[in-house]
Amino acid sequence: MRVILAEDSTLLREGLVRLLVEEGHDVVASVGDGEALLSTTAAYQPDVIVTDVRMPPTHTDEGLRAALEIRKRWPEIGVLVLSQYVEKRYAADLITGDGERVGYLLKDRVAQVGEFLDALDRVAAGGAAFDPEVVRRLLARTTHTDPLAKLTAREREVLEKMAQGHTNAGIAESLYVSQSAVEKHVNALFDKLGLANTAGYSRRVLAILRYLGS
Amino acid sequence: MPDPAATRRYLRKMLRGTLGVAIGAATAFAEFFYVLFGGIALAIPALRPPVFAGARALSEVERRRIEKYLGAENATDYTGRRAMTYLVPRCVIGLFSTGIFLLLGYGVVIGTYVAYQKAFGEWPGEGSLSDQIATVGLGVLLLFLSAQGLIGIATLERKLARRFFGPSKKEQLRRRVSELATSRAEVVEAVNGERRRIERDLHDGVQQRLVALGMLLGRARRTGDPDHASELLRQAHEESQRALEDLREVSWRVYPIALDSDGLHPALEALAERSGVPVNLRVDLPERPPAAIETVVYFVASEAVTNTIKHAAATRIDIEAERDGDRVRVRITDDGTGGARESGGGLSGLARRVAAADGEFTVDSPLGGPTVVTAVLPCE
Repeated sequence: MRVILAEDSTLLREGLVRLLVEEGHDVVASVGDGEALLSTTAAYQPDVIVTDVRMPPTHTDEGLRAALEIRKRWPEIGVLVLSQYVEKRYAADLITGDGERVGYLLKDRVAQVGEFLDALDRVAAGGAAFDPEVVRRLLARTTHTDPLAKLTAREREVLEKMAQGHTNAGIAESLYVSQSAVEKHVNALFDKLGLANTAGYSRRVLAILRYLGS
Repeated sequence: MPDPAATRRYLRKMLRGTLGVAIGAATAFAEFFYVLFGGIALAIPALRPPVFAGARALSEVERRRIEKYLGAENATDYTGRRAMTYLVPRCVIGLFSTGIFLLLGYGVVIGTYVAYQKAFGEWPGEGSLSDQIATVGLGVLLLFLSAQGLIGIATLERKLARRFFGPSKKEQLRRRVSELATSRAEVVEAVNGERRRIERDLHDGVQQRLVALGMLLGRARRTGDPDHASELLRQAHEESQRALEDLREVSWRVYPIALDSDGLHPALEALAERSGVPVNLRVDLPERPPAAIETVVYFVASEAVTNTIKHAAATRIDIEAERDGDRVRVRITDDGTGGARESGGGLSGLARRVAAADGEFTVDSPLGGPTVVTAVLPCE
């Protein structure tokens, strides 16, 4: 697929470019700030962009702002944001809208090359990819009024996987259970969370995430 | 709408002040003669001690009056000789206030007289309208000037007492507490600033390297080509070395351990060696300052050097550290572009750090350079 990279650290940028090229992707541009990300995206119309959050000039949230802008202007382009920290606000910002073709990973996740590439594929394919750490943080809020408290341990596991953007087949594989068992859990937890079961998996993820992050 | 309680307080203060100045006017006469004859008596050495003692007693009366009526506390630990020199300008001021009160009295008498005549229809008599306006106008002006005069006298009294007696212990303590409160807040701020910097250092350096290292290893594992894999491993190995170097750099910036073991001079030498711009170092400290002071001096130098390298485009930097009585002075000079401001990021942190150690911090950086950063720290 055609990718644009935005990352201000030359070291990481070069590493990422090589990795993507080795995996057979086409890196059409790699840039170091939000401005350049927007202009190259406008020029090349890639399938997906990967961007760091903190970039020059202010090193606060340029990358994220550029990513949100891209989602607004070209909704068909996938957006994968790499962040130093879990910032719930960023996750929430990204999820709003139609909530497809979007991912939010911790930067360190790039070192888990397999997971990173997998997330990139999911985003490009119209799905979602949220860092396990982000999801864990969102799931961690269990209070008496929290409907999450009603879930069984297994259902929570399924929800976590789902929130990361995995399909039922993927969840079944990683939890070593049958797909029908996963579907059962999914339906059960949808009932408990009061969510209508829809077909599109990324939509359901985002519905859940939005629900958790609200 | 002014607060009536505040208005009452203000009026009370004004009245008290006026009363204080009036008492001062009365005592000024006694002081005038005392200064006159006491001054002559001072010519005879045997008479000096009693003359000074009397001057002290008179000055104490003044000090207490100023504290009670004019609201300024002053110290009591002054000498009789100082008291004598205080009485000279003091009695002059007192006599001036006597003059003002005489003017006021004159105004009141005339005003009452005119009002009395007006009430019985005898005024203005032959006078025209312009005479009336002139008389009333002059009266109002006189009243205003007198009030201003009294306020001025009160201020002068306070200033003079402060100059000759100095602030009282309580006053000094109050000032010290407010200084400490400020510097405590500044210490907290300085610490926070440093923590932010450490966080950035870790993220922008060490973490990036480790992520890159992980990526290299991940790629090596994914590739099917053994030659490529071994090349990636070689790169990963180098990257791990660099990550370690970065980590060492960061921890050195967090706290140069050489400071504790070897003291300021070697730590500054290490700083000079690491600088990208040539540093000329001159340290003249016969004995080691306290550790806390050494640390501040080191950080002043290190931060100033960092700032210079970042912003000034300098070709050389001079660091001088020397003993100056019971203080340590560190001066960092560069031949760069100047225009550094004490309120700038790095330098304001330093200013706070130095203030926290009761030191003085100055930045002199005209546009076009050179920039001189100086810190003077007490070594008690």
